[in-house]
Amino acid sequence: MRLRYKILSGFFLLVAMLIVAGSFSIIEFSKISKSVEDLLEDNYRSIEASKSMLEALEREDSGVLLLLHGNWKEGREVLRYGDSLFNSSFHIVQNNITEQNEEAYIDTIKKRYSKYKSLWERPIADTDKENNLNWYYSKSHEEFNAVKKAVKELMGLNQKSMYQEATDLKEKAKRAIMPGIVAIFSAFVFVFLFNFFINHYFITPIEKLTKELENYNPQKTTLTTKIETRDEIGKLKEAINSMIQKIKQNQ
Amino acid sequence: MRKTIIFRHLGLILLFNSFFLFISAAISGVLDETSFIPLLYSALIAMLFGVFPLIFVDRTYDIQSKEGIFIVVSGWGISCLVGMLPYILWGGEFSLVNGWFESVSGFTTTGSSILNDIEGLPTGLLFWRSSTHWIGGIGIILFALLIFPKSGTARHTLIRSELSDMSTKSFRTKTSSILKVILYIYVGLTVLEVICLSIAGMSLFDAITHSFGTIATGGFSPKNTSIAHFDSLTIEVIIMVFMVLSGMHFGLHFATITGKRRNLFTSAVVKYYLIFLIIGIGLVTLKLYLSDFGTWQESLRYGSFQVISLGTTTGYATIDTAAWPPFTQLILIYFSIQCACIGSTSGGLKFDRILMLLKSIKKQVQVFIHPQAVIVKKIDKIKISNEIEQFFLTFTALYLVVILISTFINTFLGVDLMTSFSASVATIGNVGPGFAGVSSLGNYADLPSLSKFILTITMLMGRLEIFSILSLFYLRSWR
Repeated sequence: MRLRYKILSGFFLLVAMLIVAGSFSIIEFSKISKSVEDLLEDNYRSIEASKSMLEALEREDSGVLLLLHGNWKEGREVLRYGDSLFNSSFHIVQNNITEQNEEAYIDTIKKRYSKYKSLWERPIADTDKENNLNWYYSKSHEEFNAVKKAVKELMGLNQKSMYQEATDLKEKAKRAIMPGIVAIFSAFVFVFLFNFFINHYFITPIEKLTKELENYNPQKTTLTTKIETRDEIGKLKEAINSMIQKIKQNQ
Repeated sequence: MRKTIIFRHLGLILLFNSFFLFISAAISGVLDETSFIPLLYSALIAMLFGVFPLIFVDRTYDIQSKEGIFIVVSGWGISCLVGMLPYILWGGEFSLVNGWFESVSGFTTTGSSILNDIEGLPTGLLFWRSSTHWIGGIGIILFALLIFPKSGTARHTLIRSELSDMSTKSFRTKTSSILKVILYIYVGLTVLEVICLSIAGMSLFDAITHSFGTIATGGFSPKNTSIAHFDSLTIEVIIMVFMVLSGMHFGLHFATITGKRRNLFTSAVVKYYLIFLIIGIGLVTLKLYLSDFGTWQESLRYGSFQVISLGTTTGYATIDTAAWPPFTQLILIYFSIQCACIGSTSGGLKFDRILMLLKSIKKQVQVFIHPQAVIVKKIDKIKISNEIEQFFLTFTALYLVVILISTFINTFLGVDLMTSFSASVATIGNVGPGFAGVSSLGNYADLPSLSKFILTITMLMGRLEIFSILSLFYLRSWR
């Protein structure tokens, strides 16, 4: 192979190594970016919505207590706000199903909430339920806890998935960094190797040829420096030998 | 020593590794696994480093003895380094030390693992893990030789390191033929075992990976509970047969197939090797039965598998031997030291040397009785010179010294005595499992990092017959 191609191949391989390492790092970082996006888009949104649902339920529970104490206007106001908040949050989780079995959890919440809502939707003021704490503890509070539990389970599912995703992210980050580290180490070794070949096949023979020409013995007909390759340096030696022979012939 | 020649041959070895890495990457790619990029990246790195020296260094037709040894030793080292790349790039349980341990364990066909959850690994990575056994089993050197130019000196040198020096003396065919024969026998046995295991009910992937582990006498299984996972007597019998076959001189397989006079049935080494195995199986079975370990059929089933597995340095398991009576453990430790025959893919001390040791003892007794007697010692009708005898005995002594040093260091690092000793015996013999903390269904995960590193040195020493490694310390005298 010609000298220029040998040197070019060295640089080409070095560049190839960097391109490969760079490409793989980019792919892995893209995966991380996607994972972060998924983490925020999927699980975090559902967790926030679940928190809002829990807040809405707490408000509704307070609203029920206000109704029981005869503050029907204020109670209805609080219940309306709680219901609106719950529905809007429920809408978010309903349209953000990302985990396996998440739909079943949402269905449970829906059923439990409908049951809970049916308890306080009907009039309480001026009925036997007014000031009836037994009704509150045996019916309303029990259903309130059941819905709360279902929402918490949904939140737990998303939190667990978020934790898993975060653990995977750590692994992905490592996978993104490692090609870079390997590339740096490989490039380091490669430079040494390249330097060795350049020295062995190009620099040293040229130095030897130069030294032999400097100490040239006119009685010699050919150069004794050993050239291992059949590239330009080998041809240079042959050319010098040919020149020496021509000079000898002319003498 | 010509560095350029060494670089060229190391390049060829890297290219061979990259070929298997590409196959593993393809498997991962098809199955859309997380190990695809780590495997592909490793394959590309190995390929780039492999191609580069070939561009500069022309084909050479003679390799000197010293260059041959250096290619063998550094070839194994560089393969282990490249082999660890997919592990550390993938992550999981693979830290830097763990990746190195798993890679060295694979290429030296030891089969010790640091993995707690083997089945959690992607299929492509599992294939690579088993491939390291297969590559290591036949010897990266052998593959390199087949594509090397024809050079008698080099081949002889390389064979000495790879298959122990007696292999070239005990099999009377030309050196080049031996190389081809080993390759044919190796591939043939692998294919045959894959077919048998598939018929016995294993999936193709399991059959291939287990065959890689059996023929190379490695022991890596893609299952957490090794062969116990299948709970099949048929599979166990098939693996036992192939383990025994892999523990014998591969040249003798060829001789048997081609109807040569000196074959598996006439070889004294094989005869005594099988007798020792049968005695071992008998003793273990009897002790297990007497210890109320199970019925005599169960005792025979588990006893024979473990004796053959450790006696051939494979290391597959069907039961956790840590719970076995001390007597049976002692027998198994003996087989872990004895190992299989020279000329096979097994590592360790090798049975031929044990036979030599026994014959030396007999000779010394005869000399004691008849001081003037001239006693000629022969193995398989081949005269063993005093020089070879001395070399073998020195090797045996050195082998035991390495076990002792490794045990000392490991106990110093806080590992208990039984674990340290059995791990040292199992790694230098390239067996795999030991006892106590590193038992047959256990792993090396809990050992300290430095301890793992020390054990990888003993694995390499065992695989490269100690002297090759030690010769590296005398590099200056090589010039």
